[in-house]
Amino acid sequence: MTELLYGIAVAPFKDMAGSPAFFAEVLIGGVFAGLMYSLVALGFVLIFKASGVFNFAQGAMVLFAALTLVGLIERGVPVALALVLTTAVMVALAWVIERVVLRPLVNQEHIILFMATIGLTFFLEGFGEMVWGANVKKLDIGIPDRSFIVAGIQINQLELSAAVTSAVLVAVLAVFFQRTRIGRALRAVADDHEAALSIGIPLKTIWMIVWSVAGIVAIVAGIMWGAKSGVQFSLSLIALKSLPVLILGGFTSVPGAIVGGLIIGVGEKMGEVYWGPLVGGAIENWFAYVLALAFLLFRPQGLFGEKIIERV
Amino acid sequence: MDPQALEPDRDTFPKLVRCNAEHRGHKVAIREKDYGIWQSYTWREYFAEARLIALGLAALGFTRGDKTAIIGDNRPQLYWTVMASQALGGVPVPIYQDSIEKETQYIIDHAEVRFAVVEDQEQVDKLLHIKAQCPHLEHIIYDDPRGMRGYSEPFLTSLAELQELGKKFEVGHPTYFDDELARGKPDDVAIICYTSGTTGVPKGAMLSHRNLIVTARNAAEFEGLQSDEQILSYLPMAWVGDHIFSYAQSIVTGFAINCPESVATVLHDLKEIGPTYFFAPPRIWENILTNVMVRLEDCAWPKRKLVHFFLELAQDIERARLSRQPVPAWRRLLYPLGRLFVYGPLRDNLGMRRIRRAYTAGEAIGPEIFVFFRALGVNVKQIYGMTEASVFITVQKNGDVRLDTAGTPIPNVELRISPEGEVLYRSPGVFLGYYKNPEATRQTVEDGWVHSGDAGIVGHDGDLRIIDRAKDVGRLADGTLFAPKYLENKLKFSQYIKEAVCIGQGRQFVTALINIDLAAVGNWAERRNIAYTSYTDLSQKSEVYDLIHQEVGRVNRSLAEDEALRGARIRKFLILHKELDPDDEEITRTRKVRRGYIAQKYAALIETLYGDREHVEVEAKVTYEDGRTGTIRADVRIRDVAVPGDSVSP
Amino acid sequence: MTGPDARPLLEVAGVSVRFGALVALNQVSLGICHGEILAIIGPNGAGKTTLLNAISGFYHPYEGRIVFDGKDRTHLKPPDVAALGIARTFQNVALFKGMSVLDNLMTGRLLKMKGSFLLEALYWGPARRQELEHRAFVERIIDFLEIQAIRKTAAGRLPYGLQKRVELGRALAAEPELLLLDEPMAGMNVEEKEDMCRFILDVNGEFGTTIALIEHDMGVVMDISDRVAVLDYGRKIADGAPEQVRKDPAVRDAYLGVSHD
Repeated sequence: MTELLYGIAVAPFKDMAGSPAFFAEVLIGGVFAGLMYSLVALGFVLIFKASGVFNFAQGAMVLFAALTLVGLIERGVPVALALVLTTAVMVALAWVIERVVLRPLVNQEHIILFMATIGLTFFLEGFGEMVWGANVKKLDIGIPDRSFIVAGIQINQLELSAAVTSAVLVAVLAVFFQRTRIGRALRAVADDHEAALSIGIPLKTIWMIVWSVAGIVAIVAGIMWGAKSGVQFSLSLIALKSLPVLILGGFTSVPGAIVGGLIIGVGEKMGEVYWGPLVGGAIENWFAYVLALAFLLFRPQGLFGEKIIERV
Repeated sequence: MDPQALEPDRDTFPKLVRCNAEHRGHKVAIREKDYGIWQSYTWREYFAEARLIALGLAALGFTRGDKTAIIGDNRPQLYWTVMASQALGGVPVPIYQDSIEKETQYIIDHAEVRFAVVEDQEQVDKLLHIKAQCPHLEHIIYDDPRGMRGYSEPFLTSLAELQELGKKFEVGHPTYFDDELARGKPDDVAIICYTSGTTGVPKGAMLSHRNLIVTARNAAEFEGLQSDEQILSYLPMAWVGDHIFSYAQSIVTGFAINCPESVATVLHDLKEIGPTYFFAPPRIWENILTNVMVRLEDCAWPKRKLVHFFLELAQDIERARLSRQPVPAWRRLLYPLGRLFVYGPLRDNLGMRRIRRAYTAGEAIGPEIFVFFRALGVNVKQIYGMTEASVFITVQKNGDVRLDTAGTPIPNVELRISPEGEVLYRSPGVFLGYYKNPEATRQTVEDGWVHSGDAGIVGHDGDLRIIDRAKDVGRLADGTLFAPKYLENKLKFSQYIKEAVCIGQGRQFVTALINIDLAAVGNWAERRNIAYTSYTDLSQKSEVYDLIHQEVGRVNRSLAEDEALRGARIRKFLILHKELDPDDEEITRTRKVRRGYIAQKYAALIETLYGDREHVEVEAKVTYEDGRTGTIRADVRIRDVAVPGDSVSP
Repeated sequence: MTGPDARPLLEVAGVSVRFGALVALNQVSLGICHGEILAIIGPNGAGKTTLLNAISGFYHPYEGRIVFDGKDRTHLKPPDVAALGIARTFQNVALFKGMSVLDNLMTGRLLKMKGSFLLEALYWGPARRQELEHRAFVERIIDFLEIQAIRKTAAGRLPYGLQKRVELGRALAAEPELLLLDEPMAGMNVEEKEDMCRFILDVNGEFGTTIALIEHDMGVVMDISDRVAVLDYGRKIADGAPEQVRKDPAVRDAYLGVSHD
């Protein structure tokens, strides 16, 4: 009994203190993974806020973006141009989705829109495979997957640039939503469609913008994951990992998506390395879900989610 | 130096404002939150704006001695109008903005007001309704043009138009304003403040420039007010307190006043301004406290518990300090931690971080409220003041604050207690008399001494203690002073005592009927495993009698400290078997004890208190919440209280 | 007060709106003149809100024309209608509940905002100046509606009467030429109603805004409107000065006759 307690409450911390460089590396690994989750969750949040649609296809969009980029680069398109083209493709995709999926289904039940996004998932996976093929592809955007050592801590160059890019993206988005006219319009649409229409906010344009932004976020996420572990169909599944992130952070909160992602990323890496041996490993696979379950029980609106304000 | 001496070029408020405009012209004199922004006006602008208003009034035919009614929320324009009227030798008469038509009409008519300067349409409408009954009223000037487009009455002028008239008038009369200003004398009437007497018609107290300037200056020196003070001017302009703080002291000292955006935003504006000098009647302090408590209830429990812990700690320390008892070392050690995490941030949040001195007055402040704010580190003090004294009579000195005193007289104020126990005072601030009411003036002022109407005592340290309205104070059979409300309030300071009724008029000694606080005593009983079934049951437990006995003993000890009150210690008490209830007409809805009714209803019980029996069987009618009536029976005990050091025994 | 003049600002000509087989509006013709306060009354289900929705572009007429300021705009969509200078409020308050009152009003200014994204994002130069100008304008409305104390409160937390007031404020923020109010006083107590009447009259008097409102309280209608139009069963049955309409026998029948529910 004491041994078990020691294993849970003492030994891991001794290990951490014993080898701070290793601890830092685990931490950085966790942050990196967390940022990836955050990016995907961010796409969810944007769309959910603006249109109330739970976009199951966000994972598929990441895959589709990555496939498009890799496909273009493989066909000899320079990286920069390929990025521009991929962005154009994602914006076009947003336009098509607004036209073909959202507009006809406007004012339908949420569950119907949700089903539509499941359909969208299969379409994107199938379409991507049809156009670009089903092989695992290595995405090379010119950042070497090499490490350098700072203060005894090994830092992967790719991971570092990924983290920086994500941080910049998040900052840009935050400014976009808080400061700009479109951002304000977007928050208005998220709050009340009818009222937004009546004061002159064109709903369809806003949807189109939101889906485009979600598409661009998907590109960034796709590049990061793709560069790290190759572009393959399992990318689509990271959408499942971002569900607990959303529960943790709250479905409507941009900062929530980021903090939630980081907590889960760091939590599962730490759990795996320091507590994993106790239970025979594989903590990484279920940690996020157990945490999410606990949140559903005790704080269903998430860390940053809005409590539902009801006037009494 | 003669305390009343004034330099000739600073002996009226308009002259003082002109000095301020010359010597600190670029400094902010007045701010107003408008359209969400604090707009400021410097002393130079203050003077210039007031000057144009004065010239405009002159253009409309204002002559020396005319009265100007001023009605509205605290607005720079209305303060300027006060100065403008004074500059022309007129007398401003501020009227409460929420007065009903009848009261407003009475004052306007009684004061023979010719000009009324009001804030907005609402006030204009009120005046239009009563204008026919006010033969002297000739001109109505309004500040806010909102909603006024449909009005065509020729005697209506907007303040902006008035100032335009002033500019035109000045062309033809370039020295008019300066000449009139120079003619002002310190003993001219500066303002007439109507006191809204609880009984009878309002009386208009006339205060001279000298009254107000000297008093404002003395109090400012006593308190060490600086020219960088900030105050929030949110109490009615018609109240003499606002006049002294926001007008007289601001002009004499040169500090800035701040007018809130609207009545509803006062607490928010308080936070933004962060005043250094603050006045609030007890009900505002209570509001703020309630607000804090409500917000605290919304916090997550760890935070709530932590805050409660530290608040209680601070209040314990403060209570000990106020009653001059030692503070345990561990509490003193924890206090800085509380200041860091709780008191400081909370004070900041309330806009009270910069307060150097704050006042409460008017009525008795609940001790827990007083202690709460002092515990936070807000230097709130009690003052005793009256319209007839230009406010300031006594103020608690910094570092010498107690719960139940009103402090010591400010410089040049003399205090005396009449043989009847009434507080009399004499000071440079004493008013000129009631306007058109020499009879009332004669009744109030005798040889320069003013009858306050309050019964009080002066302790050996010079502290004034107000015990009751003079007319409510009685005598025991041997002539000892008996102030029932004072005793009852002292009893009610105890958390276990909810209501108390003291008896003693014409009797040998004082007794008390006590209502325990069911929540507090119930809680106390539960912690001691004392089982009880009802209020009646709990009230007659001997343990509860012991508890209340201690509290009565505490009150008696504090009474023993005052020679005048020693004889009025409580010799016997009983705990009533039922709660005093407005439904049973024992107390009013505002929880004031209905003494006469109780004396009648509980006559048998009271007689027992003055007899030899130790308990008495009673029956009482009660009215339940649903309106049904019933009877409860109980065996009520009588408890004797030993009163050491006194030969007379019951 | 400018007083209404005879030129119609908005003209509804023979407009019909159908939902399936239900004819909600049947060839209604109605003019709203410059500067007037027009009350639209009628029993429940008479088509009042439908008419407002048709004017503001939420429904499109199946026949007839709607002309605003001399231009045909029968088939415009709500945002385009708003851009023309028609603002409205809703029967069941449609505020941005999670946003503060100030943000709600600022959102009402969106149509008036111009400029580049980049500058806005940097909150620099013209963008900053623009933001401040709009804020100043919104502050005037806050002052006008006497809602200073709730500036920073989330709209969803306000009591109903205040929500209605804020919604009016948001509509005013767009500086509309025509203001459509759908039951602005529904569910209010007497004092709140008086306040709202005063605001409506002041908006009309001080900004010269033309106002069309739906209202059930006949006392209010008689007090504040220059003209009253009566709908019943999707048709217009009367149109004229309040006194005249009150005496109209057809109107009495509609109100006092058989219930339509």
